[in-house]
Amino acid sequence: MDYIIQTVISALSFGSFYALGALGIGLLFSVLRLINFAHGDFITIGGFALIVPSSAVVATVLIGGFHPVLLVICVVAIVIIVALLSYFLVFQHVQNSSPATMMIVSFALGYTLQNIILMIYGGRPKAVNIFPELTGQVQISDGVSVQILQLVIIAVTWILLIALVLFLRRTKVGVQMRAAAEDFRMARMLGVNGKSVIALAFILSGLLAGIMALLFVTQTGVLTFRMGTPIMLFFFIATVIGGMGSLVGAVVGGYAVGIVSVVLAAVLPGDIRIFRDALVFLIVIIILLGRPQGLVLTKSAKDRV
Amino acid sequence: MLLSVDNITVHYSRLPALREVSVFVDEGEIVCIVGPNGAGKSTTLLSISGVLNPTSGDITFDGKRINGMSPEAVARAGISQVPEGRHVFTTLNVEENLRIGTSIRQDRSDIEKDFKKVLEIFPVLAERRKQAAGKLSGGEQQMLVIGRALLTSPRIMTIDEPSLGLAPNLVDRVYETLLELRKDRGLTLLIVEQSSERALKSADRLYVLRSGQMQLEGNVADLQDGEKVRQAYFGFEESTTDDDEVAF
Ligand SMILES: Nc1ncnc2c1ncn2[C@@H]1O[C@H](COP(=O)(O)OP(=O)(O)OP(=O)(O)O)[C@@H](O)[C@H]1O
Ligand SMILES: [Mg+2]
Repeated sequence: MDYIIQTVISALSFGSFYALGALGIGLLFSVLRLINFAHGDFITIGGFALIVPSSAVVATVLIGGFHPVLLVICVVAIVIIVALLSYFLVFQHVQNSSPATMMIVSFALGYTLQNIILMIYGGRPKAVNIFPELTGQVQISDGVSVQILQLVIIAVTWILLIALVLFLRRTKVGVQMRAAAEDFRMARMLGVNGKSVIALAFILSGLLAGIMALLFVTQTGVLTFRMGTPIMLFFFIATVIGGMGSLVGAVVGGYAVGIVSVVLAAVLPGDIRIFRDALVFLIVIIILLGRPQGLVLTKSAKDRV
Repeated sequence: MLLSVDNITVHYSRLPALREVSVFVDEGEIVCIVGPNGAGKSTTLLSISGVLNPTSGDITFDGKRINGMSPEAVARAGISQVPEGRHVFTTLNVEENLRIGTSIRQDRSDIEKDFKKVLEIFPVLAERRKQAAGKLSGGEQQMLVIGRALLTSPRIMTIDEPSLGLAPNLVDRVYETLLELRKDRGLTLLIVEQSSERALKSADRLYVLRSGQMQLEGNVADLQDGEKVRQAYFGFEESTTDDDEVAF
């Protein structure tokens, strides 16, 4: 019984994490038709922001030593700035190109960001300990204990999801964003500022990446310059499974991927477990063969101006 | 002159879709551009709205040059377009659709008044206020997009084929509404249609566009017999058959 509860919590927490990642990608895709492969590297940057920029073997905490509130604000702000810069310096100049071109540009950006980190911080993994109290266990009923961090990830995800829904439904700019996501050109013809809407999407995507950086580093305790790449792959898969362009789909896809990976890890016998990711991808292929448009239907991606 | 399109040439690819086309609209006028498929009517309106950028020529609105401006800047300047195919935001509800265009306005207090007025003009929109706009019928969607364009408080509204896909009685309703809007608030209208029939009834002036070139311009009063329009529309030098009942 306790094993089942632990697996469920673990699945939900992985799912939440992937859902947040897929949402960060989905937000940009919805207004810009950009699949941003640099999203994982935004998370990496959030992680490295915690320590003093140096290639020393042992990391010295910088922002990581701040008061928790200040720490969160600083990391999130840095990642938002990076996201915004990547719009104004890079993506803005290719935003009228095809989605394929933009995607390739995002690969290039991601690769560049990784190499900048490599240059500044060196290639060795660095240990960082933030919020150590969260990695402990908490007893949730007789004899069943789970990691606090997993509960935190689930809670943070749902707070962010609800906040995002309220933002998109209740605020003027939120409604403008939904309109622009559906028909960018029409929104502009009604006076919605296209550039601001896209910049806002980058801000939201950076906000999510910043928070994810904190959750991720708390969990792993290690920084490496390529740590964003493998998780990005899962975010991308989650986005595709959910249905490109649908934010609900991104969340559904994130949970689907997270739950499937955790359940597979739990039920597969030991010697097959190393093939878990391969099996996840196989399931993805099967899902997409049956539903090429993804799990959640959207109004198809329209041409934009 | 409120809006003046002066000798614009517009390219999608190497061949121009519009060749040195000129259109002007005076304040308070209803002007119609008619022409067959592919004539360049939509291209003209999209150029005015800043969606397309002419390769040569100028567009001025209220004395200011507006070509090269972004679509949102053109909307702010006071030109609102109801494009071909309506383009309602299907996932937004009716009220959200209507309110999208109000963000560019400074006159906060008048927005609510105008919002109420639009719901009065189109009572069906009031009934469906909280319903997703994608669930409206074609006619209701046409009313929604006209109402939405009105709420940007434009000085001139351009409409691309308002009668497309509507039953004749609904087309009458739409035109009645447009004429009333002109009468009540001095709205200037530039309307694109395939057929000249409606234009000859409702407009003040008429342009005939074919193959990217302007064929004819004139006061509707002078064109009532239809022969000139027919020639310009089909490109006949002279009516060579007796078949004057060609439907167009
Ligand atoms: N996006 C586009 N890309 C390339 N060519 C286009 C594009 N849109 C229109 N054209 C071409 O430009 C010309 C004018 O098209 P436009 O849409 O302005 O015609 P129209 O008069 O509005 O026709 P319709 O009555 O069918 O709506 C046509 O030859 C058309 O093929
Ligand atoms: Mg057209």
